[in-house]
Amino acid sequence: MNNYIRIHQVSYSINGQAVLNNIDLSLARNQFVALVGPNGSGKTTLSKLIMGIIAPSRGYILVDSTDVKDLGLANIGSKIGYLFQNPNRQIFAATVMEELTFAYRFKKHQQPQLQQQVNEMLAVFELEHLSQAKTYFLSHGEKQRVALAAILLNDPEYLILDEPTTGLDQKRKKELSSLLQKIRSKNIGMLMISHDHQFVLEQADRIIELDRGGVVNEQHS
Amino acid sequence: MSSTVDPRAKLFLVICLSTLGIVFENIWTLLIVLIAELIYAVMLQANVLTAIKKLRKMLYLIIGIVILQSLFIRTGRVLIGFNHIKIITDVGLIKGAGYLLRVMIIFLSGTIIATSDMRELIQGLIQLKLPYDLAFMASVGIKFLPLLMEQLKDTLIAIQLRGIDLNSLKLKQKLEIYAYIFTPVIVNTLTKAKQISISIEARGFRAFNQRTSIKVLKFKALDYALALSSAIVAGVIIIFNWHLLQI
Ligand SMILES: Nc1ncnc2c1ncn2[C@@H]1O[C@H](COP(=O)(O)OP(=O)(O)O)[C@@H](O)[C@H]1O
Ligand SMILES: [Mg+2]
Repeated sequence: MNNYIRIHQVSYSINGQAVLNNIDLSLARNQFVALVGPNGSGKTTLSKLIMGIIAPSRGYILVDSTDVKDLGLANIGSKIGYLFQNPNRQIFAATVMEELTFAYRFKKHQQPQLQQQVNEMLAVFELEHLSQAKTYFLSHGEKQRVALAAILLNDPEYLILDEPTTGLDQKRKKELSSLLQKIRSKNIGMLMISHDHQFVLEQADRIIELDRGGVVNEQHS
Repeated sequence: MSSTVDPRAKLFLVICLSTLGIVFENIWTLLIVLIAELIYAVMLQANVLTAIKKLRKMLYLIIGIVILQSLFIRTGRVLIGFNHIKIITDVGLIKGAGYLLRVMIIFLSGTIIATSDMRELIQGLIQLKLPYDLAFMASVGIKFLPLLMEQLKDTLIAIQLRGIDLNSLKLKQKLEIYAYIFTPVIVNTLTKAKQISISIEARGFRAFNQRTSIKVLKFKALDYALALSSAIVAGVIIIFNWHLLQI
């Protein structure tokens, strides 16, 4: 429980250029951790390493005590929900309803109560009126909510959100933070990447600051 | 050397040799064309090794087409067959080999062209009186290709992270999944294309009919030498194989 994600002396470089240097971190499931730092400091890269989208040049990462490189994307995705910086990357279907349900046609384990869970998600994310809407015409905030709903339907143990507040106005940010509270109450751990200091200070239990590929500051609140 | 050669000279070379590769059917002629092109490619420092690696990835497809082709060729001695059914004949096999050689010739042409800087190639096309609009579209398309591949890769990752194990899917499901993967890529590409068209109109694209270029290509001695030598090589190959042409 205390070491859900273990990042052990991880370095990552691309084309001979170091992006992350010797990162050592443990993330627990009962924590809301914020990852902050200037643009280009390596936040997105670190999150992609955790998800197994890219592999570390040195060191290793354990998720739930298993090395990420042995897990495979489908398994990691079932454990950790990942919200991309750009929600366009993870919206596949023509309508909101189809987006929330299509993945289950390709899985071995059927979800008998899927329709009921989908309806619940639509309610939580205030998407009921949009259930038949075309996904391409949705606003940025709506797309983000659809992507988040789809991720949560997968019943993850942990969530990683890459800059979820960009492109949201004050009202939407408030709504997002109350959503995040609801998610936390389900005992889902969270790592949120953000530059939004105000938002982070209000929400997080622990703030990790990255700069030029290294952890420069850490504080608990 | 390769970066100093005028792209128009390379275009001329490639057009000469590819034309020969298409006109002739005889394997030995095709083999000579391929060897000539290989020599030029090495001289121009083309990425021959990368091309071979790429070709190896497509090998199954090519072999498949070769077998399919030879299935429909009924003449010649039967090499593989059951009772009265001819599967592969020697003539079919030779035709297949010819096809393989042609694919390699075209592929090498691509790698020779790829040694030019894109901007220069477009400039070359414009100086060959290709309409600027067309040349510009080609350059935009080429520039966005790596971006498109990147996006496709991201989307493929994102769909797996939904908990879908692509390896365990049946063929029919795999095809269905690919439709889902292409949807965001196509939608994003169309959106981007719309933005680009607005942005280039706003910058006065086609505001004047006459366009000038900062960098103008000039044919140098080396370029003349390359063009002349490719004409000679093509000429010699044609003369020696004249009797094979069915005109
Ligand atoms: N695929 C890539 N190719 C080249 N450089 C990259 C690539 N991915 C990340 N980088 C570089 O790594 C650094 C960190 O990037 P990133 O993790 O996206 O930063 P952040 O999310 O903190 O803004 C940047 O300097 C970026 O240019
Ligand atoms: Mg980032």
